[in-house]
Amino acid sequence: MKKGVRCQVSGVSKKLFTVFLLFTIHFSFLTCEAKIYIDITSPAIKKLPIAIQEFSGTEGKQIADIIREDLEFTGFFLSIDRAAYLEKSSETFNPKNWTVIGAEAVIKGTVRGEQNLTAIVSLYDTSEGREVLRKEYKGTKASIRYLGHTIAGDIYQHITGEKGIFRTKVAFVAEDEGKKGLYLMDWDGTAIKRLGIKGDFVLRPHWSQDGSRMVYSSERGGQWGIYLLDFTKMTEKKVFASRGLNITGNFSPDGDEIMFSSSQDETYGLYNLRISDSKLTRITSARWIEISPAVSPDGKLVAFVSDRGGTPQIYIMNRSGYDTRRVTFEGSYNTSPSWSPDNKKIVFVGRVSGKHQIFIISPDGSALNQITDKGNNEDPSFSPDGRFIIFSSDRNGGSGIYMMRANGESQKKITPPWLRAFGPRWSPN
Amino acid sequence: MKRIFVSFLAFVLVFAFAGCAKRTVTAPDGQEAPKETAQKAAPVEQKAEEPVMAKAEPKKVETVPVKEVTEAKSSQFGTILFDFDKYTVREDAKPTLKAVADWMMKNKDAKIILGGHCDERGTNEYNLALGEKRAKSARDYIVSAGVTKKRLDTISYGEEKPLCKEQTEDCWQKNRRVQFVHQTSSGKAGK
Repeated sequence: MKKGVRCQVSGVSKKLFTVFLLFTIHFSFLTCEAKIYIDITSPAIKKLPIAIQEFSGTEGKQIADIIREDLEFTGFFLSIDRAAYLEKSSETFNPKNWTVIGAEAVIKGTVRGEQNLTAIVSLYDTSEGREVLRKEYKGTKASIRYLGHTIAGDIYQHITGEKGIFRTKVAFVAEDEGKKGLYLMDWDGTAIKRLGIKGDFVLRPHWSQDGSRMVYSSERGGQWGIYLLDFTKMTEKKVFASRGLNITGNFSPDGDEIMFSSSQDETYGLYNLRISDSKLTRITSARWIEISPAVSPDGKLVAFVSDRGGTPQIYIMNRSGYDTRRVTFEGSYNTSPSWSPDNKKIVFVGRVSGKHQIFIISPDGSALNQITDKGNNEDPSFSPDGRFIIFSSDRNGGSGIYMMRANGESQKKITPPWLRAFGPRWSPN
Repeated sequence: MKRIFVSFLAFVLVFAFAGCAKRTVTAPDGQEAPKETAQKAAPVEQKAEEPVMAKAEPKKVETVPVKEVTEAKSSQFGTILFDFDKYTVREDAKPTLKAVADWMMKNKDAKIILGGHCDERGTNEYNLALGEKRAKSARDYIVSAGVTKKRLDTISYGEEKPLCKEQTEDCWQKNRRVQFVHQTSSGKAGK
């Protein structure tokens, strides 16, 4: 085993870093004969009782706590209270100490170093009485949460077979020195960072599916423009601007096209812009309002909002503008559609008794389900694994960013009270 | 780039060590990585480092041409109001729009920006569209009275600039409005 091998993670090597992750996962599975402990695709899930022991060494408790919070938030784990543990952190794993308190899985770890931390983490299966995963991680004390999320992600993947969301980020819009600005944070609401991109207005950003770019609309100096931020070069570029209102939707799956709405020539229209050669195609033309196009993750359909029937409702059509059909019929105000990653659901905002609530519906108009009932809720979208929904809400006063499981459980605010935040979008990776 | 390649290669070697018995990995340059037989999962090293986007602030490569726009001050014409969720010009708004048209017929160089606004009971994007539709409905009425379209510009503020901040119907009604702002040819505010 070679130790101390380092990878300088720079912009260019991010892709390699991803490749690296794939490799580690690959090998962990090969070595350990991966077994799915929780079938999270099953409709009735029994939570897995797990013991997460304080790690020994620097910040060991904090790292273990981050892992515990992450796993608990998914709703698939039952974390056993540490007071019940019979085995000390320093003692060798003995399955008998854990089966008596009902733990089916145990996480133990050690941390070395002060600023530069090295954590060695093991996952044990108590019924088989053996270690099923062991990995060494390097990180810094300054980004300790990221280290904890990385470990939690590996454990989650080992147990459920799915990638999880613990290393994802959330882009959002918030007040920035009297203007609106773009921000990034970790999915748990920590590490909030201003991106330094501001405008009189900035609307919710949309990520490319590889996570390397974002597209968003901003009004600057009286003109609505559509801007593209490239994280690999850290550059912003204006890709479309005109008179009227230009509001961008999301990227096509290949990342080379965006759909947006524009009123540049007096009528509303949905447009497709190919970024590589700036080819602009008009898809619809309407005397009424047509906005908020959302391309499905498979690239086949577009959900959008139109008031062609007298009230704003959600419609879908194919990418070339044909086969338009109405999706929502309940209520007089349905807006802000966004697709689930498997293309099977659309999450949107509907008005109920004068307040905005979040709903999920199938693209064929069936299986309508209201999942919020407090305050006004806006801008919903799914997590990359489709298991969570992020949104903004004013339920506790000023607008903040919240998340919940896709069935509406465990709703919680993740932005701090002092930040007026809205328009969140989960990074794809 | 070379350094990255070397790092990558190093990683591949690490994986080879960490991998299963009798499994070989071919490095990118065609070199065969060493083999190892392992009894137990050796720790796989992983660096928990944040992606690059969390570090630097982006550079703006393209500056945006700034069209000077006057501050939205209340003009001599006041505002016109709209029904909830609607953008059709109401009867009670028509005298105001006629007055704006008459004034523009007399002041041939004057330009006006119509700012469309909404109450807070809408979603952000749709409210921007609704505000714009209100401004354009008002503009079209003035155009139908004989003013050329190019002297009238529109902008939507959605729900971002409320006149009144209480959550009452009185207040919401005040916010569902179009305001008129004079603009001279230089782009500076008139009177």
